[in-house]
Amino acid sequence: MALVDLLLVVGVIAGVYSLLAIGMNMHWGDTGLLNFAHAAFFAVGAYTSAILTTPPATGDLATRVVGFDFPIVVGLLAGTAVAGLVGVLIAITSVRLEGDYLAMVTLSSAELIRLMIHNEAWLTTGAQTLKNIPRPLSGAVPVSYDLFYFVLVWTIVGICYLLFTRLSHSPFGRVLHAIRENDDVPLALGKNITVFKLKSFGIGAAVAGLAGGLWAHYVYAISSIMFLPSITFLIWAAVIIGGAGSYAGAVVGASVIVFLRQITRFIPGDVPFGDQLAYIRLMVVGAVLILVLYYRPEGLLGDAERLQAGTSE
Amino acid sequence: MVLDPQLIWNGLVVGSIIAISALGLTLIFGILNFINIAYGDYMAAGAYVAWAVNAQVGLPLGVAIVAGILTMSVGAVVLDKLVFQHFRSRSPITLLIVSIGLAFIIRNFIRAIWGPSGHFYDLPMEANPSFLGVRFSVEQVAIMVVSILLLLGVYALLRRTRIGIAMRAASDDRMLSRIRGVDTEKLVLYVWLIGGAIAALGGIMLGLDAQLRPNMGFTALIPIFAAVILGGIGDPKGAVAGGYTIGVAQEVSVAVIPSEYKFGVGLLALIVGLLTRPDGLFGEATR
Repeated sequence: MALVDLLLVVGVIAGVYSLLAIGMNMHWGDTGLLNFAHAAFFAVGAYTSAILTTPPATGDLATRVVGFDFPIVVGLLAGTAVAGLVGVLIAITSVRLEGDYLAMVTLSSAELIRLMIHNEAWLTTGAQTLKNIPRPLSGAVPVSYDLFYFVLVWTIVGICYLLFTRLSHSPFGRVLHAIRENDDVPLALGKNITVFKLKSFGIGAAVAGLAGGLWAHYVYAISSIMFLPSITFLIWAAVIIGGAGSYAGAVVGASVIVFLRQITRFIPGDVPFGDQLAYIRLMVVGAVLILVLYYRPEGLLGDAERLQAGTSE
Repeated sequence: MVLDPQLIWNGLVVGSIIAISALGLTLIFGILNFINIAYGDYMAAGAYVAWAVNAQVGLPLGVAIVAGILTMSVGAVVLDKLVFQHFRSRSPITLLIVSIGLAFIIRNFIRAIWGPSGHFYDLPMEANPSFLGVRFSVEQVAIMVVSILLLLGVYALLRRTRIGIAMRAASDDRMLSRIRGVDTEKLVLYVWLIGGAIAALGGIMLGLDAQLRPNMGFTALIPIFAAVILGGIGDPKGAVAGGYTIGVAQEVSVAVIPSEYKFGVGLLALIVGLLTRPDGLFGEATR
C-alpha cells in the first residue's frame, strides 16, 4: 500500500479523535468539568448510528433483533442526539459533584454503559461485532474511498472547530469560563450554573457521538472492546498536550496522539522489539503527557491563564 | 426471600479484596490529596511480580507474595520520587492527570514484559471443602484471614504508633499538623510504602481469586472508587466498611439481577451515597 493511502487512513482516525477532543475541550477546557465518560459517548454514537442503518442479520446465529434501514445521515444525526442525551442524563446524577468525585462517577457510568452494550445482544449483537455497517456513497465516489472519507471527516472537523470556537467566545461560552474559574461568581450574577453545566456536558457528548457515528460508518464493524476507558484517557492526553481551552490545541493534540499510536504502521516489521511496539508507543503517550504537564502545563497551544481551572474551592 | 449463604460468603471474600484495596487508596489520598488513577496498575504490577517469582522463577507462593509486596512498596516510593514529587505544589486535578500518564506507562510495561493474555498462580489443586452448604476454596479462606489481619494491623498502626497518629492528623488538616511539628514529607514516604504494599496485596488477592490480566487492577478500580467514596474519601474505616458493603451487595444482587450487571450495584451505591451522605458513611471525609 502506498504511503499516501496509509496517511489517509491515519488522517481519518486523527479526524475522528479530533472531534472527540473538541467535545472534551468543551467539558474540561471551557467548563472545567472532569468528564471521564467520553468513551461511552463515542460508543453510544457509534452504536446508535449503526443500529439505525443496518438491518438485523438473519440466520441461526443472529442475536440482534433490532435494526433499521434508515439513510446514513439519519443515523449520524440520531447518534449525535442520543449521545448528547446520554451525556445530559449522566450529568444530571453527578454534575453538582466537585472535581475528582465527578471523575470517578463518570468513569463508572461509562463502564456501565459499555457493560450494557456488551450484554444486550438483542440490540447491539453483544460481545460479537456488529458487522456490515454501510459506508456513505460507497462505490459512488470517483476518487479513492479513503480520500473521500478523509475530506468528509476533516470538513466536519473544520465546521465543528468554527462552531465551538464561536460558542466559546459567545456569552454562553463566557458563562462556562466563569464556572471554570469560580462557581460562585456566575451564581452571584444570577446564572443557573447547573443548567449551564448540563448544556456543556450535552453538547460535548453530542460531538463525541458524531465522532462515533463517523467511526462506525468508516470501519464497517464495531464491537464493545473498541470503547474501553483507555479511549477516554487518550483523549484526555490529547486535550492536555494540545492545550486545554484551545480548540486548535484539541485538534493538534489529537493528531499528535494518533500519530504516536499509528507511527509503527510506517516502520517495517523486522525491527528489534517489533512485538512490543504497540505497548511501547502507549508508554510513550503516558510519558509525553507527564512531561508536557511538567514543562509546559498550559499545553502546546493553550492559554496559561486558564490553568487555575478546578483549583478553586 | 432467603439469602443464599454462598452468595454472602462470596460477597465477603470480594468485599475483603475491595476493602483492603480501598484502604490503601484512601490512605494515599489522605496524605497526598489526589486520586491516584495508577493505583489499579500498582495492584496489577504487584500481582505480576509475585506471579513471575512464583511461576517463572519457581519459588513457593508465600515467598512470591512477599516479593510482590516488597517490590511495589519500594516501587511506589520510587515512582513518587521520579514523578509525583515534581508535582507536589500543583492542583489535585493535575496530579490526577499525571497519574493517568503513569497508569499508561505501568500497564503497557506489564503487557510488554508479560504479554497481554491471562496468567494463573501455580496453586495446588484441591477439592473445595464445604461447610453448612457453603463451598469454601482454600484461596478464599486465605484471602479472608489475611485481609482481616491486615485491617487489624493498619488499625493498630493508625491508633497506636506515632507515625499512624501523625498520618491521621495530617490527613485531617495538613497545615495544622505541620505547625505542630509533623514532618509531612516523611509521612509521604511512609504512606507510599504502606499504600504500595497494600496495593500489591490487593492485586495478588485478585489474582488468586480469579486470574492475572494487565488491566485487572484498572477494572477493579471502579468498585474500589465506590468503596472509597461511600466511606468518605480519606477515611480509612469508612473505606473498609464501604468495601465490605459493596462486595456483599454486589454478590448478593446476583440472586435478583443478571450477574453481568453486578458491577452496576457498586455504581448505584456510589451515586446514592454521594447524593445522600456526601461526607461518607461515618461523615468523616477529609474534604
